[in-house]
Amino acid sequence: MNQVLNLPLIRLLVIKDWQLFQKQLAAYVLAGIVALALLGLARPWAFYLGSLLLIIVLVAGSCFSISNSLLVERKEQTLAFVMSLPLSPLDFTLAKLAGNLLTFGVPFGLLLLGTLVVVLTTPLPDGLVVYSLLIYGHILLAYSVSLMVAMQVESEGWNTFAMIASNLLVNPLIMLLGQIDAISIPARADAIVWSLPAVLILSAQVLLSLAALGFTAWWHGRKPAFY
Amino acid sequence: MNVLLLSASDARPMYQQIIDQITTRVMAGDWLPGQALPSIRELAASSGVSVITVKRAYEDLERAGLIATRHGKGSVVAERLDQARGLFEDALTRSLVDAIAHATRLGLDRGQLHQRLDVELDAAESTPTPTQGNLP
Amino acid sequence: MTAAFAVSGLCKRYPHFALQDVSLTLAEGEVMGLVGVNGAGKTTLLRLLTGLAAPDAGSIDVLGHRLPQAQVAAKRGIGFASEDMRLYRSQSLDWHIALVRQIYPEWDDNYAASLMRRFDLRAQQPIGGYSHGQRVKALLLLCLARRPRLLLLDEPTTGLDPVARAEVLEALADVLRDERRSVLFSSHNTHDVEQLADHIAFLHGGRLLAHRDKESFLDDWRRVLCLGSLPPTLANWPEVAQVRSAGSQIEVKLRAWRDDLPERLAAQGLTVQRVDPMALEDIFVTAVRAGGAA
Repeated sequence: MNQVLNLPLIRLLVIKDWQLFQKQLAAYVLAGIVALALLGLARPWAFYLGSLLLIIVLVAGSCFSISNSLLVERKEQTLAFVMSLPLSPLDFTLAKLAGNLLTFGVPFGLLLLGTLVVVLTTPLPDGLVVYSLLIYGHILLAYSVSLMVAMQVESEGWNTFAMIASNLLVNPLIMLLGQIDAISIPARADAIVWSLPAVLILSAQVLLSLAALGFTAWWHGRKPAFY
Repeated sequence: MNVLLLSASDARPMYQQIIDQITTRVMAGDWLPGQALPSIRELAASSGVSVITVKRAYEDLERAGLIATRHGKGSVVAERLDQARGLFEDALTRSLVDAIAHATRLGLDRGQLHQRLDVELDAAESTPTPTQGNLP
Repeated sequence: MTAAFAVSGLCKRYPHFALQDVSLTLAEGEVMGLVGVNGAGKTTLLRLLTGLAAPDAGSIDVLGHRLPQAQVAAKRGIGFASEDMRLYRSQSLDWHIALVRQIYPEWDDNYAASLMRRFDLRAQQPIGGYSHGQRVKALLLLCLARRPRLLLLDEPTTGLDPVARAEVLEALADVLRDERRSVLFSSHNTHDVEQLADHIAFLHGGRLLAHRDKESFLDDWRRVLCLGSLPPTLANWPEVAQVRSAGSQIEVKLRAWRDDLPERLAAQGLTVQRVDPMALEDIFVTAVRAGGAA
């Protein structure tokens, strides 16, 4: 099906989604900064508190982004308004995905950058860079899967389940990372070591995320009509 | 500015109200012979009624000779209203002939028929009756 | 002149409902009223016309564009407002206008401002604070101020107080001035349809029972009161939609009025007392209860 993308409209819709939530996103980033500050203190208690808070902020942020741009829109029935604009299902899908990625990606990126800065500039062992990237990688994957589910399924129950389950899997991941010597030992040292398991895990996370997002775009974009 | 004063409270169908009001306005001299009438669409929009209803009314008015439609240029009040008047006269004559026939069947004489006419006139004066007003 | 829309053999199946074999055309510059009970298929038909849903069979052409393939082009000329459509509660009407204005170059600021005055809407208040009637009017304003060539409205006056309803009808009547603009609206408010529509389409159980121009449709129906004893075969006449009797008072609702019907009724021994046209509401309920074609 030949389709010309309505880029100006997509851009408008992405900006719209951003405008709707920018205040809340700022709040998340702020909470994240507090978490990073705690991490930077490099004390055991502060480290645990800070990392816990950081993970909470990241998870909440990713759920917030999906919830607001899709689930709430469905519930509040504002989707019909958007769908009646001169756009195709492909335009709409791309706008939703892009808007979502923006509202998720900006805080995510800021906090990722912040984490790296904190790890590298404070007394924290630099080896944590690899470790934290793996955590962030998981958040990204959980987000992509949840987004895929949200675009497909209307049931709020299933969506909540998908978001919570995928994000909670970070716990087993942390345990797993602790078990893999090639990752857990260098994490306490001051050198950044990319071991094979680390590279494999991170690549898998990124690739699966891209696959989930790509599949979603393709699947919803090829619908001839919304309903 | 209101062109016509139509109301759902009026018992007559909308197209009939339009016909009757335009007739009244022309008879009252609000619109003079040769004067342009609002376009069908304009009248529809300002009165809040469908175009098809206004069209029907205009067609009836044209058939009755009250207005004349120039192709592509809208409608005007007919130059010679006496033609329309003649049609009204015909309708009245027909009604009177009918009334006489009914009266004969009932066995009324001339005087009694006059009395019945007075009774109906009195009644009409005291309560507003909906006119059947279908222009022939 | 392109038709505002032309639909042929349209079918759409849902788990518990199906729109079947609907064929309908609206000429440019005309107003069509869509009448039907809840669940008759009005919303489904409207969704198909706006390109939001794709048909299972049949063809849809709106403003000369085949749907759903050309839905983008079609939607540029369509103004759609439905009962289940909502605006963003946290944002103001001004915010929505700013969004819509960027998308549709035909947006008329002056017209929007005048509609805002007529509808008495506060532009800077969050939509969440609007009453139901104000919300409906806000949605309509966002449609009307673009002057779309085709307005598709699902229940535009439902749930509105009488004053708001009058405001909306007046705003809709303004569309009549432009012979290039067309309107299809579905409504339970048969008075609105009776007043503003040029054509009436009657949906029931997913099928189109009737679609006629309003004047001849209304002209076809009469309610006749007569005196006499009820002839047993009267209800079977094809022209008769409903017969009721109370003692020697008989009421007959006829769906295919002919001038010779009073004579035929008289021939059955009935004395015709009065013949009245029927309001669309009465026709609607009678037709639905009588079943079959309206």
